[in-house]
Amino acid sequence: MKNSQRVVRLFIVLFFIGLLDFNKVHAQNTADCDCFVKGVVKDRETNLPIVGAVLTIKNTSKVTTTDAEGHYKFDRLCQGSYVLECKIIGYKTTRTSIALQHSAEENLNLSEDEVHLQDVEIVARRVTSLTQPSGSLQNQSLEQTRGQTLAEALQKIVGVTMLQTGAFIAKPVIHGLHSNRILIINNGIRQEGQQWGSEHAPEIDPFIAKRLTVVKGAAGVRYGSDAIGGVILVEPAELPYTTGSIRGELNTVGFTNGRTGVLSGTIEGRLNKWKGFGWRLQGTLKNGGNIRTPDYFLANTGVREQNFSAAAGYRSLKLGAEVFYSQFHTNLGIFSGSHIGSTSDLLNVIQNGEPFIKADFNRAIERPNQLVDHDLLKIKAYWQFSGNRLSLTLGRQHNQRAEYDLHGPQAALKPALLFRITTLTSDVVLEHKPIAKEITGQIGFSGLHQYNFTDGRPLIPDFEQSNAGAFVIERWIKQKWEWEAGLRYDMRWLQVYRFIGQTLDQRNHQFNSWSGTIGSVFNANSHLSVRANFGTGWRPPSVNELYSKGVHHGAAAYEEGNESLRPETAYNLMGNVEYTSERFRAEIGFYHNFIQNFIYLKPQSEPILTIRGAFPYFKYVQTNATFSGADVTSEWNITQRWEHTAKISYLRAYDQADDNYLVAIPANRIENGLRYKIGKVIHSHDSFVSIGHLWVDQQKRVPPNSDFMPPPSAYHLWSIQVGGDIILTEKQKITWGITGQNLFDTAYRDYLNRFRYYSLDQGRNFSVRLKWIF
Amino acid sequence: MKPAHSLLTITLAFTLTAVIWSCGTKEAPAPEDENELITTVRLTFTEDGTTTPQKFEWKDLDGDGGNAPTTSRITLKASRSYKVDVEFLDESKTPTDNITDEVREEGDEHLVVLTPTPSSLFTYTASDKDSRNFPIGLSGNVATGSINQGSLRLQLRHQPPVNGQPVKNGTVAPGSDDVNITFDVVVAP
Repeated sequence: MKNSQRVVRLFIVLFFIGLLDFNKVHAQNTADCDCFVKGVVKDRETNLPIVGAVLTIKNTSKVTTTDAEGHYKFDRLCQGSYVLECKIIGYKTTRTSIALQHSAEENLNLSEDEVHLQDVEIVARRVTSLTQPSGSLQNQSLEQTRGQTLAEALQKIVGVTMLQTGAFIAKPVIHGLHSNRILIINNGIRQEGQQWGSEHAPEIDPFIAKRLTVVKGAAGVRYGSDAIGGVILVEPAELPYTTGSIRGELNTVGFTNGRTGVLSGTIEGRLNKWKGFGWRLQGTLKNGGNIRTPDYFLANTGVREQNFSAAAGYRSLKLGAEVFYSQFHTNLGIFSGSHIGSTSDLLNVIQNGEPFIKADFNRAIERPNQLVDHDLLKIKAYWQFSGNRLSLTLGRQHNQRAEYDLHGPQAALKPALLFRITTLTSDVVLEHKPIAKEITGQIGFSGLHQYNFTDGRPLIPDFEQSNAGAFVIERWIKQKWEWEAGLRYDMRWLQVYRFIGQTLDQRNHQFNSWSGTIGSVFNANSHLSVRANFGTGWRPPSVNELYSKGVHHGAAAYEEGNESLRPETAYNLMGNVEYTSERFRAEIGFYHNFIQNFIYLKPQSEPILTIRGAFPYFKYVQTNATFSGADVTSEWNITQRWEHTAKISYLRAYDQADDNYLVAIPANRIENGLRYKIGKVIHSHDSFVSIGHLWVDQQKRVPPNSDFMPPPSAYHLWSIQVGGDIILTEKQKITWGITGQNLFDTAYRDYLNRFRYYSLDQGRNFSVRLKWIF
Repeated sequence: MKPAHSLLTITLAFTLTAVIWSCGTKEAPAPEDENELITTVRLTFTEDGTTTPQKFEWKDLDGDGGNAPTTSRITLKASRSYKVDVEFLDESKTPTDNITDEVREEGDEHLVVLTPTPSSLFTYTASDKDSRNFPIGLSGNVATGSINQGSLRLQLRHQPPVNGQPVKNGTVAPGSDDVNITFDVVVAP
């Protein structure tokens, strides 16, 4: 402890020395910051000027375009070395290094790309929602999360936290809501696995994504009414329909903690013989061993993962089709010390303060463990005609999850619990051409058919469910105002097949309701925009909430469903103000989510007696709950080299009916980051170094006697990162990065980690990332 | 066809494709099978010098939840010696599944612990050993004290090796409970 305090102090001192140093440099620079660079951009072949080429000076905010004669000019530049990038569709992008002392003239000749302008189709990203706050990760910020789980990566977005079961099982939480209340759209298909359990992570390889987006708040109109907490979009890059030769990238990531290695590669290209055909192959391997906390190793916490995906598609101006197949396979060890037979085992561990089982580093995965497979086949087609676009998306998913308990003299080879879920989804969406040039929108139908088989220990019965929905969303953009309104109707049928003894007992449920959204954005000027959105959504109770019955082994609880539960209805009001100037951007968002008939597990006064001892008894009940809070982010380019980012999440959840707080709500947190852009160092361009600090408060808003131990104390985590790009040739590049997480090996426990009873959270972890683009 | 008309036709055709896609075929549901359920714990006491066994049972035939378990009261005579056998059964299956043999076979990772309260009620000494010479506890001897009453906690501890290293050390601490039940005990004259 003392040691880490000393390091913190040292850090602060170094930081201030850095500030002083920077002031000196800055003072010196102002005098020399009137350099300029200018030139003409021409076509290499025809020697004609190129109009509208976009020029950027890397690592600065300076951007300009060429005028009618192909001229460009940047002024007020400081002395130094820069990389000048020139881009325009139809030509190859060029990068030129310039060393500025006073002025320079750089005339650029661009070579035509293999694609000719007339073939280039301008693809606009379809907006998820204009009026709802969202955050996304792409490019560098996504790169920095490579090798981590999906939920860990998403935590970079303000308002998103995670619910963990150890190191590799993590699921995202948006504004305090998770699991069934959040929809994950993986490459256009709603992810259907085992959302219900906190120890079931989304079965998605994050390396597939080129972009991760989180839409906060009830966003069910477009994707399905049950998204009352938000939507997570996992989007891969477009297939290379237009760019030439074969290209790809290779990612390697190594983590010191768990000695985890990740290797992921992508290769893609187009068929030169047939215009408009593109393809991509991608695969990831991951292997990790026992995770170390600051004080001890966690036995049996290894992971082995193998994923691959293949995609091929054809695109023309009028028609397009795409096939995507992915397979996700993981074998996860469940921390041996977390397996308890009875409540007295749990209380003993808590009293002991650390796990009874100690281990060294080991890669073996023993019981208990999980073997998870997820297959996805997607077929998508679209047709564009007279300004309209009709698209059809079909998906088939098969999710198989085998849980091997520690228990059982008998089940040496057989899993104690096996779920097999098959889901078929279909979406038909018509995006109509603008009405009166101002109103754009879409109407759509979606269908879902799903069936589940459970083998082994009775917990969730076999079931079959179907869903049919229809929606319409229209957007009206007029000068400074943007309006959006949407309406959706869903019906769900659920058949449950239970066995009472050897007799089959079938239960049928039917749910149907409306969801809607209305919102507006007011762009006051180029700096300030204000948005507000009101959305409603509903979620029928899921099978586990209706029918689960049994001991949850890791949770030391007997959980019982209630078949008379009614659907939840959410009323979600959000407001958001965004200010952007050249060097400063800030966003503040408020939300208030009222959920009527909110379903949760309520502790019962009497424990339940089983052969493994007495267990606390929980029943699924309904209440009216409110989730209110605020998200704040700011990005400040203090100077050209120094950048500060801050994120604050505040959330307060309350059970209105019981007049008490809700359990398992993420604690408030503040995150600060300071980045210094070094620029070019030896051969590395765009180099940077950054330090980050995360403070998570203790969750004090908990109902009394709701837990076996009080919520863990507040904690501070420090991280450091360095990175940059090494440009090998015009097409080849190596992006590198070194990250240190939990730099001071702080011993902490997080309230939303189910392992908090048994052990500390992960200790210091250094990682090295190398990405080779070819 | 009018544009609006053709639009409708196409949308319907697409929807139909989608609907057909959504109608899958599937197998029939089968009953769940908890392959490691223990419903019954049976204690057989045989007083030294006699051949009449006394059987006491703890039963929860429908598993966790549902109907509450039933427990018989153990009555023993004061200041006597008994031979004791412990059995674990799954009576939810027909025929009854006897789990005792498997516990014995995997003796290296199982330990039966009998804890009387108050401790003066009786003393228990296991007579069986695993391959590392630690007790298993499925059979043993009980020496009762003077006239008294109290309770007996019976635990079946599952203590499998972790990362290949055995953890069983003859004490109750490592591992987790497979069984943790309590009987009422009367030690009478």
